[in-house]
This record gives sequence, C-alpha cells and structure tokens, in this order.
Amino acid sequence: MNRVKNYINGEWIGSDTKEYGDVWCPATGEKIAEVPFSTAADVDKAVQAANEAFEDWRCTPPLSRARYLFKLRDCFESAFEDIARTLVTEEGKTIDESRGEVRRMIENVEHATGITTLMTGYNLEDIATGIDCTAERQPMGAFGAIVPFNFPAMVPWWFLPYAVVAGNTYIVKPSEQVPLTQTRIFEVLEDCGFPEGVINMVHGAKETVNAMLHHPGIKGISFVGSSNTARYIYKACGETGKRVQALGGAKNFVLVMPDAELDRSIPSLITSFYGCAGERCLSGSVLVAVGDAYEPLKEKFLAAAKALKVGNGLDETVQMGPVATKAHMEKILGYIEKGVKEGAKLILDGRNIKVDGYEKGFFIGPTIFDDVRPDMTIATEEIFGPVVSLIRVKNLDEGIAIARKSRYGNAACLYTTNGKTAREFKYRVPASMIGVNLGIAAPMSFFPFGGARDSFFGDIKGHGREIVQFFTDTKVVIQRWT
Amino acid sequence: MALTTFGAIMGFAADMAAKTCEYYKELAGRATDAGLKGSIEELAREEAKIRARLEEMRRLNVTEMILEYVSGLHDEDYNINVDISDSPGDIRVLEAAVALEEREKRFFLDASDKIPLPEVARYFRKIVAKKEQNLSRFRAIPV
Repeated sequence: MNRVKNYINGEWIGSDTKEYGDVWCPATGEKIAEVPFSTAADVDKAVQAANEAFEDWRCTPPLSRARYLFKLRDCFESAFEDIARTLVTEEGKTIDESRGEVRRMIENVEHATGITTLMTGYNLEDIATGIDCTAERQPMGAFGAIVPFNFPAMVPWWFLPYAVVAGNTYIVKPSEQVPLTQTRIFEVLEDCGFPEGVINMVHGAKETVNAMLHHPGIKGISFVGSSNTARYIYKACGETGKRVQALGGAKNFVLVMPDAELDRSIPSLITSFYGCAGERCLSGSVLVAVGDAYEPLKEKFLAAAKALKVGNGLDETVQMGPVATKAHMEKILGYIEKGVKEGAKLILDGRNIKVDGYEKGFFIGPTIFDDVRPDMTIATEEIFGPVVSLIRVKNLDEGIAIARKSRYGNAACLYTTNGKTAREFKYRVPASMIGVNLGIAAPMSFFPFGGARDSFFGDIKGHGREIVQFFTDTKVVIQRWT
Repeated sequence: MALTTFGAIMGFAADMAAKTCEYYKELAGRATDAGLKGSIEELAREEAKIRARLEEMRRLNVTEMILEYVSGLHDEDYNINVDISDSPGDIRVLEAAVALEEREKRFFLDASDKIPLPEVARYFRKIVAKKEQNLSRFRAIPV
C-alpha cells in the first residue's frame, strides 16, 4: 500500500507517527493509500528547515525568485494531465473539473511571477524639511497553509507562490483525505531546484494542525475549510500572534428573475449546483425563483438535472462524479433525510443512485427539494453536496432578504437581463463574491478570493493584489541626510 | 455517445485527428501517383499538428468557472467507414481522403457552435476552412 511521505528540507521523509489514515478512491470505494498523521516533532522539523532556508532566500532578488516560478510553471504544464488524473482518482470530481482546477493552480503561479511589480513600496521626499520617507515590503519568515479536501491541487497555491516569491518560506499541510494530488505536485516541484527548505509539506490531521498553530517559528497561517474550524484557527492564531486568513464555509443563494434568459442560463445553473458534486464553496445551494420565473425554472432545471450523467470522473463524458468520502456522503444523505422530515418536497431524489461498475463508489445523484422554506435546515446549513433547495419568492426584495439572513456571506449569483436589478443585487447582498448571469463567481488569481460573515475570518483574502500585504511587513524608513 | 463536456469534445477531436493521421500514413503507402502520395502525406502532417494543437488548447483553455454542459453532439454522427483494403487503387485512396476531410469539416463546423470559448471555436473554424481548401484541391485532381 502506498504510504505518502512528508517533504522537508528538500527530502522525502517518513513521519515519526504510528497513526495513519486511509485514502480512498471515491469512484471505486477502494482504499488507495495511507497518510501519516504527522506529529509535532515532524512539524518542528519542517519549521526549522523553513526558518534556516529563509535567511538566504530572503536575500535572493525577487526576480531571481520569480525565475523559479517560471520554471515551475513549465514543469506543471508538462505534468498537467498526470496531476489532473491523480486528483480525479482521490477526490472524485470529473476530469474536466480537475483540469480546470490545475489550470487555476497554474494561474496563481503565473500571477505571482509579477512580484517585482506586486511587491513595490512607496516613498515621499520632504515629509519634513530635508527628511525623506520610504515604505518597503519585507518578507517575514515561514508561513503555512492548512487546506481542504475539495480542491486539493489549487487551494495551497492561492497562497504558496505569493509567499515564496515575496521571500518567505512555506509549509503546506494537505487535507488528510486527499494527500496524493499535492504529493504529486511536490514531486514536480522537486525537479525545479528550489533551495532546500524553502517549500515543505507535512501531512496530517488535527495534531499536525495544532502543532502548526502553536509553533512560534510560523509567522502566519492561511486556512480554507469549514466555518467552525476557520473560527478555531482564527482564534488560535490570535492567541499565538500569527497573521491569519481563514476562509470558511458557505451557503450560496442563486436568484433567478422572471426576465432571465432561461434557456441560456440553465447550463450555467446546473454547473453552479452540481459541478464538483456541489463540493465547492462557490456552489449554488439555494435556488431562489422570483415571481413568474418559478414554473419554467423548475421545469427546465429539473429536466437538465435528471439528464446529468453521473459516474467515474475519469470518463470524459461524465458530468458529475462521486462526493469525496464515504463520511461526507453519509453527511449529505443525513441532510436529505432532514429535508424530507422538515416537510420539503423531494422532486428529484439522488439517494440510492446506481452507477454501473462502481457499486461501492460514494455517489449521490442530483437532488432537488421544492417547497423549501427559508428557515429549514437544508436552506440554512452548508450541505456541500449535489442538493438543491428551491424557494419561491414574490420579488427581488424578498429574495435579497433571505440571502441577508444567512450566517454566511461567501457568494451569491443573480440571473437577469436588467442592469438595475443587477446593481441592486450586488449592492445589497452581503456576500463578497457576486456573480451576474453566471453561477460560479470565482475570482481568478489576480482578484481576491474570500467571503464575509462566517465565511471568512481575517482581513486579507486569498490571492489577488492584496495577498502580498499578508506575506510582507511594511517597513517605514525615515532618513535625513541634509 | 453524447459529447457533453468541453473535455469530451476536445478529446474526441484529438483522437479523431490522431486516427486520421495514422490512416493517412497508410493511404499514402497505397497511393501510386507521386502527386497524390505527397498530398496525402501532407494531410498526415496536418492532422498531427491539429492533434497537438487541440491537446494544448484543452489544457490552456479549460476554465473551471464556465464548465457548462454541452448538448447536441454525438460521436456516432462522425463515424465513417473508409476501409479500402479490399479495393486498392488511387481513385479509392482519393475517395477515402475526401471522405475523411469531409467528416472533419462537418465535425469541426458543428462543434464550433457548441464551444463557448472564442479562441477554441475560432480554431475549429480555421480547421473547417483548411478542410474546404483541401477538398477543393482533391476534387480538382484528375485521377
């Protein structure tokens, strides 16, 4: 059985632990690897290596640091298909979705290569007579990422390339449920010649996370996961004096106006709710039909959802793969049960779906609840699966009011042909990522990614221009030579 | 089988180009007329380039945000039988080449309307134009 290793100081090394977790292929339901639950001692080795490497790495000119990323980008292109297939095998999404994820990972590397522009400071002569002032950005030391199961390739790279190219060193802790993709990525990275210790990876679970949170040698943590864990991470980093950006869960509302171009919108709506089997923090979850949109939307959305081909994501023609783990599948099934008990009308039941040849896979078919009330569990809690809650409202105000009540504020989308309606929506809905006539409001690498309310804890979000602020200290130098 | 995703369309197209390339190599070996042989060999090289470009485009243009499903394309609509092993000769070689070029022209024309990515759709239309040129040239050959 493949037992993955940590990557510390430029070497693949085993963990000190005696505890290992199982890694599963969600399509076949078979165990495919074991992952170490690394100890505090393992984390300490990585932090020491990262801090030792930092002293020389921070003196390397930014353009020279960027050259490593140029090389890495080419290596990723060469290994593109292999990384994408590894991702499908352990996470379950379709091969197209995996390719899309790897593309977005590479886009972050590409964006980070512009560090010579992104990292510049500013200055002003004569802030007082004969005194000049500069504000310079300096790297700080070792940073770490603790990342989720749903985007095992991309999410660490929302942070890592920016941190490293800014002169910091890095430690990634992949999700223990899907460690193989990042391991494959690090195998590619190993061939790019980064100085030992600049980029490290430690596998593990809760003990590993706590060791990172409490290690004094780590300057800051980037986290993506559930809201409860994000809050925990945020608090712990506050107590230990670390910088933190903690991206949490979501409950995304998608409003469809009566004037929306429905036939054009349906493929996009289906992608929103069922893409990546609903396991995106940007996935639509509550479909809000405004006024007369309800009947045609319900009819067309249901027909399109029924027609989706569910299966092993390695089949190019499959449109929705399994969910990532058996435990998560059971959690989603629990939510469906709850929806039925609370009185919502199940008009498309994805339970007990049969996928020929993959009887042990973790599959849930497209599921739709109608007659959902805004206070029901399925309309308020994050399900993170292919389950749609359809709510009918009288007008835009009523739809926005429902979205405003949510504890989450990650993404919200609107389908309309009216610009005034679109402006009203983006102005009043509290979510931080807004889509108009698209169902996945995913900021690309050059814009910030993150939500509001319980969807985000911190100040500076993932990637975008601002990320360089997270990974640098602004040093102000005031000089008088006159 | 329905080609319902960006990857499925690009994969089918690249696979078709690869198989057509191989078949052109075989056809070139059967042609006796030097001019025809050269033209068929040129087609094989063209198909190899198309395949490489399609695979590159699949990698570079995949956009996770708009991976919307596609409908109305089926691979069986583009299956043709061009086996000429039982009746060799330059006329049959030429007919086979025309059939293959027409098949590709039809597929890329149909698919260009389905792909939501302008750069990819443009390349598909460029292939269609090239195939039209090839067909005009072949139809003018006095075999």
